Amino acid sequence: MNNILRILRTERGWSQAELADRLDVSRQSVNAIETGKYDPSLPLAFAIARLFERGIEEIFDDGLSVSKAAE
Amino acid sequence: MATLGFRTANKRYKRLFWPMIAIYVAVIFGAKWLFDEDTAPLWLRIACAIATTAPIIGCIWAGLRMTYETDEYTRARQMRALAEGGAIIACAVFLVGFLQIFEVIGPVDVFWFGPAYFAAFGLASCRTIFGKTV
Repeated sequence: MNNILRILRTERGWSQAELADRLDVSRQSVNAIETGKYDPSLPLAFAIARLFERGIEEIFDDGLSVSKAAE
Repeated sequence: MATLGFRTANKRYKRLFWPMIAIYVAVIFGAKWLFDEDTAPLWLRIACAIATTAPIIGCIWAGLRMTYETDEYTRARQMRALAEGGAIIACAVFLVGFLQIFEVIGPVDVFWFGPAYFAAFGLASCRTIFGKTV
């Protein structure tokens, strides 16, 4: 799943560790989500969306919405 | 067991793990100092074995509790490493067992499978850190 977490984080000038602290997860978790190695659960996705005051679908993209729109 | 988040789970882990390690070291050295292999009665041998194992059980409990309580990604990584470590040791146990049955090797101290499990867990953890993750 693609996401814009890195962009949102750097816009605010936060390090991965700072974001991890705000979400109460490990820095490795943030890195894994940013690099697309790990897809967060729904509760964590909501926590991220709430922190950045965005909708979940604005941050995470499963690639299906684009192909659906194209159909 | 409820998820508490990475920070709280880590704090709770360290609060239990380090005292257990300290007790383990104290018991190991204490037993070595007290224990006379030739004259020690059976009850003392059993007491030493239990006293040395108890803090190890405490450390394992601390690790498991941390795994259950920490954040989801860390938990997934830990569970994977625990499973892979267990699988490696299960394979090793079968191999050593069959080598004994077919009389290739002599008796092997069962004790070493414990430290070997922790080593296998450590290696599996490194693989999940540096390799492709969950």
